[in-house]
Amino acid sequence: MKKEIVAMLLAGGQGTRLKELTYTVAKPAVPFGGKYRIIDFPLSNCLNSEIHTVGVLTQYQPHILHHYIGIGTPWDLDRRNGGVTMLPPYAEKEGIKWYDGTANAIYQNLRFLEQYDPEYVLILSGDHIYKMNYELMLEFHKQNDADVTISVIEVPWEEASRFGIMEADENMKVKEFAEKPEKPKSNLASMGVYIFNWQKLKKYLKIDVENEESTHDFGKDIIPLMLSEKEKLFAYPFKGYWKDVGTVASLWEANMDLLRSDSGLNLHDSAWRIYSSNPQLPPQVITRNGEIQNSLVNEGCIIEGEVSNSIISQNVELRTGSSLSESVAMSGVVIGHDATLIRTIIPPNLIIPDGFQAEGKDGEVVLVTEELIAEWKGSDE
Amino acid sequence: MRLVAVVDASVNIPGLEDLTMYRSVASVPFAGRYRLIDFVLSNVVNSNINSVGIFPSYPFVSLLDHIGMGKSWDLDRRKEGLFFLPVGLRKGNHLGVGDFEALEEHMDFFRKSRQQYVVITNCFTVCQLDYNEMLDDHLASGADVTEAVSNGTSLRTYILEKSLLVHMIKTFRQQRVISVEDVVNLKKNYYTYNQYEYTGYHAIINSKESYFAESMKLLEEPHWRSLFLPDRPVYTKVKDEPPTRYMEGSSVKSALVANGGQLEGIVRNSIISRAVIIQQNARVENCIIMQKCVVEEDCDLSYVIADKDVRIEAGTVLHGTKEKPIVLRKGEHVMKEDAI
Repeated sequence: MKKEIVAMLLAGGQGTRLKELTYTVAKPAVPFGGKYRIIDFPLSNCLNSEIHTVGVLTQYQPHILHHYIGIGTPWDLDRRNGGVTMLPPYAEKEGIKWYDGTANAIYQNLRFLEQYDPEYVLILSGDHIYKMNYELMLEFHKQNDADVTISVIEVPWEEASRFGIMEADENMKVKEFAEKPEKPKSNLASMGVYIFNWQKLKKYLKIDVENEESTHDFGKDIIPLMLSEKEKLFAYPFKGYWKDVGTVASLWEANMDLLRSDSGLNLHDSAWRIYSSNPQLPPQVITRNGEIQNSLVNEGCIIEGEVSNSIISQNVELRTGSSLSESVAMSGVVIGHDATLIRTIIPPNLIIPDGFQAEGKDGEVVLVTEELIAEWKGSDE
Repeated sequence: MRLVAVVDASVNIPGLEDLTMYRSVASVPFAGRYRLIDFVLSNVVNSNINSVGIFPSYPFVSLLDHIGMGKSWDLDRRKEGLFFLPVGLRKGNHLGVGDFEALEEHMDFFRKSRQQYVVITNCFTVCQLDYNEMLDDHLASGADVTEAVSNGTSLRTYILEKSLLVHMIKTFRQQRVISVEDVVNLKKNYYTYNQYEYTGYHAIINSKESYFAESMKLLEEPHWRSLFLPDRPVYTKVKDEPPTRYMEGSSVKSALVANGGQLEGIVRNSIISRAVIIQQNARVENCIIMQKCVVEEDCDLSYVIADKDVRIEAGTVLHGTKEKPIVLRKGEHVMKEDAI
């Protein structure tokens, strides 16, 4: 069945800098915003952009992700034609081929794409928090008659050397691309969102796979190769909130951005809703001792203590005498009595003992772990 | 799979008109994020019953919109699942549970179901009844009909053999009876009767006053703990609301709050449904605020039931009493001048 555009969502990332948070789940499955997982954002963007054919490429710790996405019902992707297809690595006559780089992952699924014979392929990553209308980007791509359009966002100059940087002319035609340049010539950073003409994508993936020097990465290999071959690359200037939540600190920051009305990240905007699987939970209970300031709280919670500037996921219990501030409590966390947590992230289902104290000092964020609790218990005795 | 369920959703409850102008009793909101029918449907699925017939009467558009194909209750099945069996206008809004004239319209439902026993229940009793346990009790008793009771109060839920129900439906005109409830209440001596004693949470919503009182009772810990059981979840239609946002300066205590809210004012001892906005310096005490209501700044409300989509203009003062709460009807726009 022919489709104009098919999205390929790269969701195999390990996200090692998220430490304990990604020991058992892939980065795109990391919880966010009290209710969501990171991957809800690109999936919801697809639904809101009228893209109904999505391949999700998984590799690292795929079980939770596969179970979570299922047949794609929360994102309206449970469709007879198209819909969502989970694409883990698979075995062939020659043996199992693990995905080796982002471009290689797509290359190994060319046959999946061929069945839809699309005009365009949208490459997405499951690592970013942002709300984006891909339809507008596709319009831009068509207007410029581009071979590839790369979505870019202006980043502060001092941070530019952390990103893939595009240098573009006044028509946004890409002149140069540099991966993490020491001396950036521009502050337009690639967001890891690409629209390719399908025929060109196929051509360059086939060239790239033959190149033994290549790391088979879109940013490092495919884009530079296409530039050198004088293909038409355009940079699509995206305006809005976008954040790579690759570290404990940036994940915490993005959560805190939900509490600032000027951050540009608003979950209460019904015109661009973020969809997620909805567990069936009772309303949140705030008891007479509960106190909540500037926070997001999800259903199933029982709040008997003080909460300020925090993000509380489903089924969190906070007992009397405890206080939680500038923290992210993930689902199922139980915080005992008289505990104090400041600037922390608490991973799912962690039990915090009575009297526990943790504070992220000097701008640091503490990731509370079983080990940290054991250490605290040791020092307490 | 011994049981098929019949949910009589067309029993009329006089005294609940304020909340049932645009909907049936079955779709009256309750406990912040549910409709009354959610509790009975959840009991059905938590009792592992796969086949359920809902007998609604007009106006049932809101109920149909809520239930859809039954997906939220896992009842959208190829085989069996949920059947929506509307009752003719004349036969709707009857008083007894399991009205024979209504059931008679859908004899096919009983003919096609393979289960040997039927549980007949209603929407206005909120409880955590396990119909399987009730059936075991029924079988052990050897009686023809079992009625669920709690502390002497009938939960108006009945179990009997399907063939007996079909017989009752075929002969009710000669027998001069109108419903299963009627048969049980009359205790006609050609059948034997048993009572199943249920000890868990229950609330019977049969008037505006009981609606308000039962809602307020839910704010007490023993009550919400016994209704919201982790191993027997209450299912409802899925909405993609974000977590509730508590703003700087808000103060919320003793409250049940659903998702999607934006709370900036003061809330005490109240039930706040999905996507409610309570603006700065507004005070909401002993109230039930339903879906998508907006309470503007500086309002002062106590003992108010605000139905869905109500907007209360800034500075409005509304004080009802525990015995006579003020009901604002669905979609009402309350101006400051209107309030006395």
